[in-house]
Amino acid sequence: MTGWHLDDDMLRRYVGRADSLAEGASAEQHLLSCEPCRARVNAAVDVIDLAALWDRTRDAIEVPRPSGFERVLRAAGLPAHEARLVAVASAFRGVWLAGVAAVLAFAALAAAVGHARGVWLFLAVAPVVPCLVVASSYDPWMDPALEPELVTPYPALRLVLLRTIAVLALALPAVLLFGLVVPGETAFAWLLPAVGFVAVVLAASTWFSPLRSAIAVSCAWLAVVALLAARPGSPDAMLQGRAQAGFLALAAASFVIFLLRRRQLRQLRPWR
Amino acid sequence: MDSRPGDATLLLAVAERDMGAFRTLYERHAGWLAIRLARRCNDRDLVADAVQDTFVVVWQRPRGFRGDGDVAAWLWGIAIRRLVSRLRTRGGVAAVFEDAGAAPAAEDQVLLSVEYGDIGQALGRLSPEMRAVIQAVVLDGLSAREAAQLLNVPVSSVKTRLYRAKAYLRAALAEGPS
Repeated sequence: MTGWHLDDDMLRRYVGRADSLAEGASAEQHLLSCEPCRARVNAAVDVIDLAALWDRTRDAIEVPRPSGFERVLRAAGLPAHEARLVAVASAFRGVWLAGVAAVLAFAALAAAVGHARGVWLFLAVAPVVPCLVVASSYDPWMDPALEPELVTPYPALRLVLLRTIAVLALALPAVLLFGLVVPGETAFAWLLPAVGFVAVVLAASTWFSPLRSAIAVSCAWLAVVALLAARPGSPDAMLQGRAQAGFLALAAASFVIFLLRRRQLRQLRPWR
Repeated sequence: MDSRPGDATLLLAVAERDMGAFRTLYERHAGWLAIRLARRCNDRDLVADAVQDTFVVVWQRPRGFRGDGDVAAWLWGIAIRRLVSRLRTRGGVAAVFEDAGAAPAAEDQVLLSVEYGDIGQALGRLSPEMRAVIQAVVLDGLSAREAAQLLNVPVSSVKTRLYRAKAYLRAALAEGPS
């Protein structure tokens, strides 16, 4: 420490940018190692609102660091901001996934234990899980975290599709795994219905909120399953042949509607 | 000496996710960093963004400070590079250098030895563009590429101006006191 410090005139010139290069450079070099002078400069700050900036900074650090899933997406070649957009969906938060897994495990267990009712239960639950997860992955109500991420206009279609693919990549293996526990061909028969429902939710979300669409689709499916279960016959029958072709057609038609009406994806516009 | 924790101690606490220590660091450093950045960029929003980025980096990588030198110098190194990075992503927003210190009145001359010496006078006669380059490269320690992004000029211009400024200063000093 040299005992030399910025005097008041120098400080005023420095803050007011009214000094010469040499004087400014001297002041800056001194400030790097002199806390008392830094404190005096801090007290003279007029260029920005430091309190407001602190709030912003604190908010910024409370955004979670890239999750493992986000890093996987980035490794797969997705730009960082898109990986964040995709991964920030509530659907990828551990609790949510764990809840979905628990429901599925319960259904698969019921089916594995053996009687027809258990298989019906699995058939009722498994096909609607992917569409519910997809819907929650881009429903603004489920996902307030979307808002600060969307500070710039972003192609909603691209976001929805990216998230849908990411959700399916996560949800389908889980559902498939549980399906292995279920006896018979039921284990895989639900795949096409699941894809069909996801497409229906995508299409319906151009009119309604994604979550409402998914809940409506799920309720409709549960009603159908309940009706079929009330009648005699094998649970597998309805999921084979013509029925499967029907689900495929449903998926294709819904996806075409979704693409045609993609501009109606209101929920994904930036909020400010 | 007062018993307040030093900046390096605070950084260790920040590494332990201590928000209070982080807040103290912010209060000690955000102000002068903002002032110093504002001397290099007239866009206050960009300056605020750069200060915010700096503290986000501090929060995320407090161990980036390796314990040598001043924490303030480490922070400045981050801050000026965050500003350069912000300028690059905004694109087109140039850092405008005001020619503030062009002609200080004689009675305002500071009692700084360098001001009375040859270097001070020689620096004062540099054009604003050359001074900006000297400031960015020599004083702030930026690379030619970083300086070019900060000043929104081609890298080749930075190199040319730096070369000319050095040649000029060398000549001015070789001539002796004027």
